Amino acid sequence: MNPSSPEQNERTQPRELKGLYKGVKVSVKTLDIVIVLCVLAIVLFVAVDLQSPGFTVSFDPNGGTDVPAQTQMYGEALKLPQPPTREGYSFTGWYKDPACFEPWNTEEDFIQSALTLYAGWEKN
Amino acid sequence: MANPIANLQRISAEYSQMDKKDKRRFWTDGILNNALYILMLAFCIYTAIKQPNFVSWGSLGNLIVQVAAYLPMALGIAGCIVLTGTDLSAGRVCGLTAAVTGVFLQKSDFANKMFTSLPEVNGWWIAVTLLTVIAIGALIGLVNGFFVAKFSLHPFIVTLSTQLITYGIILWFFALNGNNGQPISGLSAEYKDFVGGELFRLGPARIPMYVLYAVILTALMWFIWNKTSFGKNMFAVGSNAEAARVSGVNVFWTTVLVHTLAGAMYGYSGFVEGYRAGSIAASTGLNYECDAIAACVIGGVSFVGGTGKISGIVLGVVILRIIFIALTMLGVDSSSLYIIKGAIILCACSLDMRKYLVKK
Repeated sequence: MNPSSPEQNERTQPRELKGLYKGVKVSVKTLDIVIVLCVLAIVLFVAVDLQSPGFTVSFDPNGGTDVPAQTQMYGEALKLPQPPTREGYSFTGWYKDPACFEPWNTEEDFIQSALTLYAGWEKN
Repeated sequence: MANPIANLQRISAEYSQMDKKDKRRFWTDGILNNALYILMLAFCIYTAIKQPNFVSWGSLGNLIVQVAAYLPMALGIAGCIVLTGTDLSAGRVCGLTAAVTGVFLQKSDFANKMFTSLPEVNGWWIAVTLLTVIAIGALIGLVNGFFVAKFSLHPFIVTLSTQLITYGIILWFFALNGNNGQPISGLSAEYKDFVGGELFRLGPARIPMYVLYAVILTALMWFIWNKTSFGKNMFAVGSNAEAARVSGVNVFWTTVLVHTLAGAMYGYSGFVEGYRAGSIAASTGLNYECDAIAACVIGGVSFVGGTGKISGIVLGVVILRIIFIALTMLGVDSSSLYIIKGAIILCACSLDMRKYLVKK
């Protein structure tokens, strides 16, 4: 095994890197601190974020009456709210896209991220 | 590849001969070098306790599906990283090719079909579309590679400009034929079957056909990297371009081809992404390159240049996806995931530098 004093020096001495890190001069010790701080920051951030877990499901009434947003957890089937109303139109359902081509299927689709659903209307 | 059991025996034999100080160093080195793996494990255990659903065939299937979707782009971008570069245009190229795929393969009876004169979708037309989008990707890659190789411009500059130019083309493309920027939907059933048809089922999860294609592409890239002279030249140029030039490697063509190959992979990613998105918007593909770059760096494709393995890239994509699946199941919002991604990239780069310095 190597004697410890030169190796200690090797760890604290800033050294040059190459490739994309060309011009970077850093010691192993500094990098250790950065790595530990990054990991701590990630854990702390996740912990703070998990104080209010869940995904916001917003409903765009597309001209109809307002529908309040919901917060739901991953993997849950969406509990569809009371349909909105709109003068002169009848409600055709909730859609995944603003142009109302892809309907939300309560049997197959489930919450995987925050999303907005759009109300579809048909003229009476 | 070393036998893992023999490797462990060697390490334990070395460990028993260490003095106290070396033993402490062994552990700190081990923990720091594997910080991201340990972090992933911690998230997994926590998620498994909070959400029993996490340990199930369904989430394994979900993991396989996601890895298959993100792997091709990482395989492409890895070549650019081996050449001590990177590619910022990947996500937009994927978005453009997804849009082209969508327009080519819309249902013929779809009311909002963008180009009504396109032929009926069948096997041949799907093959033509696939080749077209791969060619589009390769062409943008070729432009990247040409400017990087010819003028020794930094890939960050070249690919940043192609990223913006590609986005401009995407916006222009979405405005064609009175489409007015509307998302492209109404994809034909033949295309959906070709990309997303059921390969087999894993519990409740459907494993789509593109998992098979991802396996084939991984094997192909492994062959290119390890068994062809082009692959060997790529590593030579990446570790020292000047030395490679002196020993007779054509640095110009190697660089151009690596970027072209990467572009072709983004083209294929776009072909699959069209199916995954369902309705393709101008924002499709935004920031995908960040995930791919992070996965490569986590998987040991070093920014120092000249090192990297296909198995490492697969591992990197798997680890990144496991972290994101775990966090999503816990209910961490996707906007927060961006902050975590940023921290992961910084952490992975520090690890990458640390490994290089300790080895030196």
